[in-house]
Amino acid sequence: MQAQLRIRRYNPEKDSAGYWGEYTLNDVNSNDSVLDLLHRVKWEIDGTLSLRRSCAHGVCGSDAMRINGANMLACKTLVSRLGDGDSIKIQIEPILGLKVIKDLIVDMEPFMDHYKSVMPYFINDDPPPEDGRERLQSQEDRARFDDTTKCILCAACTTSCPSFWANDKYVGPAAVVNAHRFIFDSRDKAPEKRLAVVGDTFGVWRCRTNFNCTNACPREIEITKAIAEVKNVLYTGEI
Amino acid sequence: MTTYSGVTHRKVQVQSNFERYAFLFMRLSGIALLILAVGHMIVQHILNDVHSLTLQYVADQWSSWGWKVYDMLLLFIALPHGINGLRNVLEDYVHGESAVKTLNTVMAIFLIVSLLAAGFAIASF
Repeated sequence: MQAQLRIRRYNPEKDSAGYWGEYTLNDVNSNDSVLDLLHRVKWEIDGTLSLRRSCAHGVCGSDAMRINGANMLACKTLVSRLGDGDSIKIQIEPILGLKVIKDLIVDMEPFMDHYKSVMPYFINDDPPPEDGRERLQSQEDRARFDDTTKCILCAACTTSCPSFWANDKYVGPAAVVNAHRFIFDSRDKAPEKRLAVVGDTFGVWRCRTNFNCTNACPREIEITKAIAEVKNVLYTGEI
Repeated sequence: MTTYSGVTHRKVQVQSNFERYAFLFMRLSGIALLILAVGHMIVQHILNDVHSLTLQYVADQWSSWGWKVYDMLLLFIALPHGINGLRNVLEDYVHGESAVKTLNTVMAIFLIVSLLAAGFAIASF
């Protein structure tokens, strides 16, 4: 199969604006990932192409990008998912809503600042259990936040959110997901602090429930549902 | 040995703000509008011909307290619902703090004047 790649390029040292680079690859297999194709472009055609990637197995969350108009992880997206036949066209852009540093690399700092704002770490100043081992909880309590533990901070959700595109002060779906993970943890003692952040003007109220985040999540976290659960706590005052 | 089972429910202190009430208002008023606005459409545009909607028709309708209350509810729910929706849309495009404040003030004045004028018109008809 032949793949025609259209990749958004931008080098701040040379270009005043971004442009589309077009590359043709032959002998592409349907089970190649988009990351494999980007590697071939970088290694065989143009070594200046810049992108982030690390584990290449959908775990580290480094290579979220906009592929044929939808946010995906390049390493988890196989060519077969994008089409079939003798020839395939693939358009690849950096994720939206964050400043492009170079080519497919964006500045993740604003995203990480929102993440840090919800205090994504366990807070409990009570002395540890007498046996010195872990703080136990029931399986039912653990199940309440199981889904939101899966986040890999790839930013695919937040950068697919129109509310975040419109206003980057919105904490975004990923921050709410990580707040949810601790708010619903029965062992954590600081839900109020996190609820104050996600319940603020630029918190969950900016969510328009259009499910872009849920569709974009490579970990299949039910993000819109998690946001709704946080909203419910903000109304009822009960976790 | 302590056993752990079931779901732990906890009460938390939640801070309130305008957005929290605005969001709740939009949900509740949306449900009310499903009944009021659809009812209005059925009565005025299906059961009655649009050409028969004369001043006399309105006068006859508002001679009944039931219709006055219905239209007053429609006014006081639909207009704030619409203005708040517009505020949300505009805030997606206007980010400057003073510009947002000015727009919100203009919309609030428009809302209050419209509610008072229309409310007075219905009540005194």
